[in-house]
Amino acid sequence: MTSQARHLVGELRAGRLGRRAFLQHAARIGLLTAAPVPAAARGRPGATIRVASNVPAGAIEPLTVSEIGGLAMLCQTGEFLVVAGSDLVLRPSLAVSWQPNADSSVWTFRLRPSVRFHGGQAFDAACVVATMDRLSDPKQGSNALSVLRGVLSPGGTKRIDDLTVRFELDAPNGNFPFYVSSDNYNAIILPADYAGDFETNFNGTGPFRLERYTAKVGANFVRNEAYWGLPALPARTEFSFFGDQQPQVLALEDDQVDVIVQIAVQGAQGLLRDPDVRIIDIPAATHRQMHLRCDDGPLADKRVRQAIALSLDRPGLVHGLFQGRAELGNDSPFAPIYPSTDRSVPQRARDIPRARALMQAAGYPNGFETTLTTERSQEIPLLAVLVQNACAQIGVRVALTIEDIAAYYGTAQPGRSDWLDSPMGITDYGHRGVPNVTLAAPYLSGGAWNAAHFRNATYDRLVASFNAATELPAQRALAGDIERLLLDETPVIIPYFYDYLCATGPTVTGVAVSGISQIFLQDAALS
Amino acid sequence: MRAATLHAIGQRGALSALTLALLSMVVFAGGQVLPGDVGRSILGPLADARAVAVLNHQLGTDAPPLLMYARWVGHLLRGDMGMSYAYRSPVAPFILHALGKSLALAGMTLAIVIPLSIGAGVWAALHHGRWQDRLVSLGGLSLTVVPEFVSGILLVLVFGVWLRVLPTSANTRAGAGMWQEARHLILPALPLVLVLFGYISRIARAGMVDALEADYTRTAMLKGLPRRMVIWRHVLRNALLPTITVIAAQTSYLLGGLVVVETLFRYQGIGSLILTAARGKDYPMLEAGILTVGTAYILSAVLADVLVGLLDPRSQAGAR
Repeated sequence: MTSQARHLVGELRAGRLGRRAFLQHAARIGLLTAAPVPAAARGRPGATIRVASNVPAGAIEPLTVSEIGGLAMLCQTGEFLVVAGSDLVLRPSLAVSWQPNADSSVWTFRLRPSVRFHGGQAFDAACVVATMDRLSDPKQGSNALSVLRGVLSPGGTKRIDDLTVRFELDAPNGNFPFYVSSDNYNAIILPADYAGDFETNFNGTGPFRLERYTAKVGANFVRNEAYWGLPALPARTEFSFFGDQQPQVLALEDDQVDVIVQIAVQGAQGLLRDPDVRIIDIPAATHRQMHLRCDDGPLADKRVRQAIALSLDRPGLVHGLFQGRAELGNDSPFAPIYPSTDRSVPQRARDIPRARALMQAAGYPNGFETTLTTERSQEIPLLAVLVQNACAQIGVRVALTIEDIAAYYGTAQPGRSDWLDSPMGITDYGHRGVPNVTLAAPYLSGGAWNAAHFRNATYDRLVASFNAATELPAQRALAGDIERLLLDETPVIIPYFYDYLCATGPTVTGVAVSGISQIFLQDAALS
Repeated sequence: MRAATLHAIGQRGALSALTLALLSMVVFAGGQVLPGDVGRSILGPLADARAVAVLNHQLGTDAPPLLMYARWVGHLLRGDMGMSYAYRSPVAPFILHALGKSLALAGMTLAIVIPLSIGAGVWAALHHGRWQDRLVSLGGLSLTVVPEFVSGILLVLVFGVWLRVLPTSANTRAGAGMWQEARHLILPALPLVLVLFGYISRIARAGMVDALEADYTRTAMLKGLPRRMVIWRHVLRNALLPTITVIAAQTSYLLGGLVVVETLFRYQGIGSLILTAARGKDYPMLEAGILTVGTAYILSAVLADVLVGLLDPRSQAGAR
């Protein structure tokens, strides 16, 4: 047993660690592997599961897919080294075990033997090396580059033998297994000789094989009888692509589909009230970041930023925008679901008198005018209006600019992006199994997504330490420091983290989803 | 006479080609001023800038706009609509599939709305100033102003979810017969019928009222011809000329403007194809889609001219 494992067991015995947090961290450092589901607990085999999914916006290319329609497709036939469950526990998939070195700068993964791709190729270490080099190579145009930047470089993945690979990281990272898990949705393992033709055959190792894919229409999959694990229960799955949520809702109500991969509260209130519809509700780290420019105008004074944060009625937002299916945010990326989150840090709450006092102290007793720029996406325009109303109570007169997504992000470079140039803005951030990515680019000095233009050397140092920490108490202690620093500085307001919602018909069982819109149907059945 | 006809056809063809060329330039130029770029729309707004640059280079979208346009025109002149940036495959199959779907939906809509609205317009005109007239005029106007997404959802809920007499999706399973295909198109066509009914019936009514009050109608009546014969032979023939032109003008809407209905009924028509291409800056798909709709519009206008020529007694007289 490693020192990290001994420490973790000691924390559990001492009662400082709950059972769930113990499982999450034990799995992360490769101490335990989840047991397979007993056959008796599974449903009846042979069903056809009909799924409503968003239209993939482009080619199903693992290297470039970035939107929910595409990633729902990737994980039907493709598999990851590790699967991050909705409970944030890592489970072995194509890797059977993993282990860090002492400072977590090198991770060694043992691979599953006797696995074959649907196309007949054997799965081995060469496939992992080729896949990870492709994803981390700036010359390949990979979407995963924004996740792997500063973590893993081309050549950092080494083949030790046919069934062992070693990842030599750019910097120590205690959460690295998440970077090669389903949490990094581009990281499905492809054959070593992959030639960019995934869409023609969906050649993966997974429990389903492609029967037919028609762009913009749908896809059918059949059970992979040669699967290395328990065979999938459904004989086939049929995905229908939809351009909008409303027709998906109607299709479920009309019994034309069994499952909707993801629903948003807005527009699906009828489903949420329908006793004949099952809602799979997963707490997630999906959130909105409202950045406040720290380097310009009245917002450069942190008392003004704190005042704006204190004007928000967060429980009201959670109730009004999500019917309660969200958790309060505390203005840091540490979501309540992360075991590393320090829950002893006080929750920021609405306090208008204190906010007004802060405005007075900052020299703005009569407020000021500013602009909030954001994207037309899901509930964000409504949130912008609610923020505008809240700010009015402390004298901040906010003009709203609500743009198409492309206009808001622009070229994502300072000077050519309303997102990065606006004094205030609201940006959507998806779910991640660990907070590392959202702690970095939006906050680090010079971070690529740092719309708040926040620069703080202490913060940068704390994040580097957090990334390197492998033991939960150390992570939690650093998280507490980061949370308190961000509450004080308030470069970004995070009002809530909302749940991931999937809807199924009343007879559907065994559907598994992740917070990033992946759907796993191998245990799905109709009762 | 033949030379004049050929000249007119040639002139019409040249004007059409010029229109389409200008259309393609406007679309391309419009696309250039839209914010964002192709690589970022594919990889997502938060993609690494290096990855975006590499993808743009692979797709050729980092070339100067004029060069990109020239390349696209060059391909088009060789009969190649180009490759979709988003789907990395030829554009033509997408366009043909979507056009076929849109034509089927437009055909179903016209098959319902033309007899219905013309019949109602004629009926209203024959009862000019009475309750029947007001019913058609006000009823049609009220239906026209209801947005398709409202009427569409209501129709789905009533006929699809509650009564369960019509399928809520426009798509059929593979191997479905023609009747089954047509049945699946009824519900998507109905919101369009509601939108067009008021417009076409009012035009038909107005044309009919004018024709009923015209001198030649009075003369025919005074000659002692039966009323039914007067209406069929003299009134309708003249009254429907503007209606035909209006119906032809709706063709581009029925082919390319049905995004709401296509989305609601999960129908892969050309309208939503164009919208998706515009959002993703997928220029080859966008250009091909708009030119296809433009061509269809021009062809429908020509067809309407031919029909008007055949029905208009004055042009017949001119020909004699």
